[in-house]
Amino acid sequence: MANFVGSLKKSTVQIALAGVILAVLLAFWKPHVLVEGFQRACLYAVIALPMALILGIVGIINLAHGDFMMLGAYFAYWLNVYTGLDPLLSILPALPAFFLIGMLSYRAIIRYVLGAPELNQLLLTFGLAMVLEQLANLLWTSRPIKLPLKYVSASATLGSFTFGIYEFIYVGAALLVLIGLLIFLKRTDMGQAALAVGQNPRGAKLVGIHVDRTYLFIFSLSIALVGAVGAIFMTRHSIFPLVGGAFTMKSFCLIAMAGIGNLTGILWCSLILGIAENFLLSFRGYAGWADILFFALIVLVIIVRARQRQVK
Amino acid sequence: MGFPVAVLKTENLSRNFGGLAALTRVSVEFRENEILGIIGPNGAGKTTLINVIAGIYLPTDGKIFFDGKDISQLPPHKRCRLGISRTFQLVRPLPGLSLIENIMLGSLFGRGLGRKEARLKAEELCDFMGLDRVTRDISRMTSLEIKKMEIGRALAPEPTLLFLDEVMAGLNSDETREMIELVKRIHNRGITVGIVEHVMRVIRELTDRVVVLDWGELLAEGPYEEVSGDPRVITAYLGEEA
Amino acid sequence: MNRWKYLLYLVIFIVLLTLPLYTGVYLLNVVDIILIYLSLALSWDMLLRSGQISFGMAGLFGVGGYAAVLLHLNTGVHPLFSILLGGLAAGILAWLIGTAVLQLRGMYFAIVTLALAEIFRVIVRNLPDLTGGPEGTVLPSAIFSGNSTKTYWLVLAVAVISIIASEAFRRTRIHFALTSIRNDEVVAKSSGIDVFKYLVFIFGITSAIQGLTGGAYAHIYGFVSPDGSFSVDFTLLPIAMALLGGMHSTWGPVVGAVVLGGVSEFLKLKIPYGHLMVYGLIIVVAILFFPRGIVGTLGQRFKNTHRG
Repeated sequence: MANFVGSLKKSTVQIALAGVILAVLLAFWKPHVLVEGFQRACLYAVIALPMALILGIVGIINLAHGDFMMLGAYFAYWLNVYTGLDPLLSILPALPAFFLIGMLSYRAIIRYVLGAPELNQLLLTFGLAMVLEQLANLLWTSRPIKLPLKYVSASATLGSFTFGIYEFIYVGAALLVLIGLLIFLKRTDMGQAALAVGQNPRGAKLVGIHVDRTYLFIFSLSIALVGAVGAIFMTRHSIFPLVGGAFTMKSFCLIAMAGIGNLTGILWCSLILGIAENFLLSFRGYAGWADILFFALIVLVIIVRARQRQVK
Repeated sequence: MGFPVAVLKTENLSRNFGGLAALTRVSVEFRENEILGIIGPNGAGKTTLINVIAGIYLPTDGKIFFDGKDISQLPPHKRCRLGISRTFQLVRPLPGLSLIENIMLGSLFGRGLGRKEARLKAEELCDFMGLDRVTRDISRMTSLEIKKMEIGRALAPEPTLLFLDEVMAGLNSDETREMIELVKRIHNRGITVGIVEHVMRVIRELTDRVVVLDWGELLAEGPYEEVSGDPRVITAYLGEEA
Repeated sequence: MNRWKYLLYLVIFIVLLTLPLYTGVYLLNVVDIILIYLSLALSWDMLLRSGQISFGMAGLFGVGGYAAVLLHLNTGVHPLFSILLGGLAAGILAWLIGTAVLQLRGMYFAIVTLALAEIFRVIVRNLPDLTGGPEGTVLPSAIFSGNSTKTYWLVLAVAVISIIASEAFRRTRIHFALTSIRNDEVVAKSSGIDVFKYLVFIFGITSAIQGLTGGAYAHIYGFVSPDGSFSVDFTLLPIAMALLGGMHSTWGPVVGAVVLGGVSEFLKLKIPYGHLMVYGLIIVVAILFFPRGIVGTLGQRFKNTHRG
């Protein structure tokens, strides 16, 4: 047993060292990849973290996760069109609005499949995802829309290398959400209760924790966060009804890589995904393949995990 | 009498779960056509031993020999086909199949019989166990009937070695008597039986030898009369005197 | 199984076989679509019986279509044969993917399949020399030169194959394997079932059917394209149909396909954008309120009155 733990630490150190070396190499060879990959990675992370929260504590996989982000993006867009409110500021109304949406979704739909087999949860959230995507299609057509915002093209120059600074907002968001969640889970009563519920719902109930209310809160929090991220996303990218789907997939990829319950790990894994994707994008011939890198990663993770489980 | 042949033998079998050592260097032998009792306090590792022998868990260390062959790394379905069968401590009837179909499962895949033959065999097993063949909803079956169904399912592949995991649990004294007679009939068919039990009167009556587990380690082995007088076994929680 | 049932099936089959004689082309095309979705719905249900969900139908469907079309164009094999090859290609691909991924079940497998359609779409788009890239490839002529009767018989044949496969899965030992794997893998393993091999096998066969269906579809409409061949329609509708009609049965997906297939044509005219929302709603409602579907719920009532 001690051997196993020791060797794990060693391989983590080795991986970290390899990562640092690669990063330095990239900094000189393709600095774009490093910077843009880092920014993109944080976008993935900040979307994946709320999904990890639900999966770890409520125990269900929400295939409609990315679509709530899409709704958040459209929310910010229309708010801007009707009131001129800057999308970044619309994070403020988005949070409570999507918290409410999360509560409604939980009460009306999600609650019923909590005890049901995983199959039902998958199908239900899949159906929900379809409903949200097609609803968006119905209301706003599939034409991509974008807001022309001046500040998103802010850039800086380092020697001969120019890069966008605005995208660092994702880095800020990811760190904020990660640290915020960690503090919440470890330092607050509600968070501790949530952790307890996540590990052992029945035990938690026995000690008086209100399990259903915890699920409700965690689920709504997750939706609120991902809706707010949608508002940020909207500033920089064009949005369309299906934009969220890819993020659901990549979020799951990150959670699978990091392991359920490992929030910090999601940040590290997102670095791998983000930088690797950008790396592929930088080669003209291979750019198209960057989109499916996450798939190769998920398959790899599954094969490795299954090997580990062989010793059951 | 002759020299006792070991049907299955474990050598320093160990199994860890994270930091928990469920089994530590357990070496036991299941001799041909004996009924071996596996006893010990709760959490001693009795069911884990069955799970590792049956292949649900792979050993962390040590080996298992069946009929002289090393089966330590074989997957469970192959061990079933070789002739190792088991029941489960908490019964696991398959709700999607009828009573007869549950039993048929074992012969269809454990022994590769065709469906007609499997059905006939299942019906024969029902008669053998005194189980009413008429298909009923599992939710309407009594606890004894479900246990018999499980035993039938385990007998269908025609095992050489059968593990019964606390089959007497929750039975009244008439039902216990019936179950004891059933185990004897199974034994008379030439099957080697490993029986995990807490009810000592059953162990006393059925077994030729017992092994005692405590905290995952083998504490003692031998005929029940010897073992039950062993001070180490007495200090470990012995279980109910029925 | 009594004689009357067999007679009924025979009558239905003859009616279906001779349908072109008394149906107009438009209606026949609608039935074509229903039969395509019927095959997909059945193949999805067959995998579901093992307890696994595949969201990748559109992916395998499209692979079958592309394989069939490209093989026909590049090697000149007869279209019908190319359709069979399309099914084979999809089956082999699924076998490979399944071998890698089915070591972990449940949500890991399901989500990997969710990515399949997108993966294949990207691959196809990025090999323009082979596949015609984003615009796809058009066949010089549709199969049978568009003869609607022969086209109908082709689709009917595929549907019959799916029905036969589904019934085979219900009446042979495969039924026992599937049900036990679905109910309790540990018991299945302990009873001698090689769970992994069975799952890979089921995934391969059902994906082959999806590829076969895709190949037929591609030849009938005469083209393949990244967006058309891998459209989410081919995943969403069959699932809704199987759930509506009733899972774990042959009749369920058939009934679901007939009901929703007709509705689909109607909806497409009335609500061109977003009519798919209805199917998402059907799935949600079905899971929440009647997970056994139409056939399942009716069947349960029948059982209750006749068993007692």
